[in-house]
Amino acid sequence: MKIIDILTKIDRRVIYLILFAVVTLPIIFPSAKSIRVMPPVEKLYDAIDNIPEDKALIIDFDYDPQTLPEIEPMAFAILRHAFRKRIKILALSLYVQPLGLAQNALISVSEEFNSVAVTSEDSIIYGRDYVFLGWQPPPLIPILGMGESIVNVYKTDYYGNQTDTLPLMKEVKNYADVGLLVSLSSGDPPKWWIEYAQNRFGLKVGAGITAVSASEFYPYLQTGQFSGLMVGMKGAAEYEEQVENKLNIKVRRKASESMSSLTYAHLVIIIFILIGNTGYFISRRKTKSSPTTPTGRPR
Amino acid sequence: MKRYIPLLLVFVFGILGIIPFIVPHPVVQGTDEFLRNNLLKILAAFALILGLGSLLRVHYDKIRRKGQNWEYSWVLIVTFVVTSIIGLFGGVSGTGILPTRIGSFAFDIWTIYFNIEVPLGAAMFALLSFFMASAAYRAFRARSTEASLLLVSAFIVMLGVLPLGNEISPHLPSFAQWIMDVPNVAGQRGILFGVALGMLATALKIILGIERSWLGGGGE
Repeated sequence: MKIIDILTKIDRRVIYLILFAVVTLPIIFPSAKSIRVMPPVEKLYDAIDNIPEDKALIIDFDYDPQTLPEIEPMAFAILRHAFRKRIKILALSLYVQPLGLAQNALISVSEEFNSVAVTSEDSIIYGRDYVFLGWQPPPLIPILGMGESIVNVYKTDYYGNQTDTLPLMKEVKNYADVGLLVSLSSGDPPKWWIEYAQNRFGLKVGAGITAVSASEFYPYLQTGQFSGLMVGMKGAAEYEEQVENKLNIKVRRKASESMSSLTYAHLVIIIFILIGNTGYFISRRKTKSSPTTPTGRPR
Repeated sequence: MKRYIPLLLVFVFGILGIIPFIVPHPVVQGTDEFLRNNLLKILAAFALILGLGSLLRVHYDKIRRKGQNWEYSWVLIVTFVVTSIIGLFGGVSGTGILPTRIGSFAFDIWTIYFNIEVPLGAAMFALLSFFMASAAYRAFRARSTEASLLLVSAFIVMLGVLPLGNEISPHLPSFAQWIMDVPNVAGQRGILFGVALGMLATALKIILGIERSWLGGGGE
């Protein structure tokens, strides 16, 4: 077999097998490395950190099972940050699919805090510290409606409680009482929050998005429309780094652990692209140097 | 009449959708709030029923005609009916009138969601990485100057976003960030302006009744 064939005709199953090995091995033997925090994530961390005491944070859970590994660590890290700083949280979804994932994140992180809480003040209590508003279709209704009155849009919360009876909802009436909204999404919702809620009501918006959609969100960060941005697994790992270093919360860091898999997967892809291109250049040189027929085609 | 009423409705509600962004008068804002919180919710409910009806009809027709992969349409219909019954009568977490537990075996909506939908969805998306790796190896070639620039940028960004990038050189993550912040934003902004102007023109054409293809029945 010629070298050119080896370089250009690697069986796809070989690529799959190598990629499978480099992705799974670091998951079986996890190790979280220190991550350098980049400005977009730093800005988002600071924006949440600087939410005034009398204002709330809205977290829009808009990720689905497909993008769960990338975005769920963001949700966990932000919830840990907000609960530690005693920032009031309103959680919601613009779609029905993420409801279970949102509930799971809220319950898991609040239980983390409650398991070490000594007094009621230390505990994270539903209705006092956070409220899960649930889902209200179509998306335009909550995005615009919450600017006027949140309890009018969500008359009951996700669990069926009357929202106007919850202590937190007596303090947070509309966007005027909201310090920041973070949209954790695998699609367009972060843009909708800017287009409708920010333009009309001046709501500050941050976002956590998938790596594949990152490029289209950067213009909004540059203009300052996004108060901060988390991109993909790396963004989640950077936020975990901030939470651990600045708030001294030492828990399992899923995104940081996954960085090894991501590193090796990227390296494998780069190596295969280089191999493919080496084969391509060798074959191109051969084609150029080979004698041609009067029509210009290689013999 | 059949044509004019939809055109009139689109014109009226199209204008009503724009005005509240410009006029802060309480009457305008109140009307807007009423339309959104009442009318839009009813429309959304109708759209949901129409969508589900249309989905079931398409798959029923496919089964009847024995179209390509018609067997999978049965899977869709059966799972749709079963999950609908469980969801409607069993409650989301098994608190409804329909029992959703046999011994230790639970089949309420949340159990189905976390044990079937979540792993299936994650698995489908995970498969993409294998196809992307294979496709990148076969198709990502430095055939021209532009393709070479794209290739080099991709390598820098791919390495720059990793902890390894920082270990190679502390400038690499910053350079990757610069690629995302400057050349990428320049390109994206151009696209955004183009898309926004296109959307504006199309919206105006629809509101003013110039563009009528959404009515169906040809271009007239």
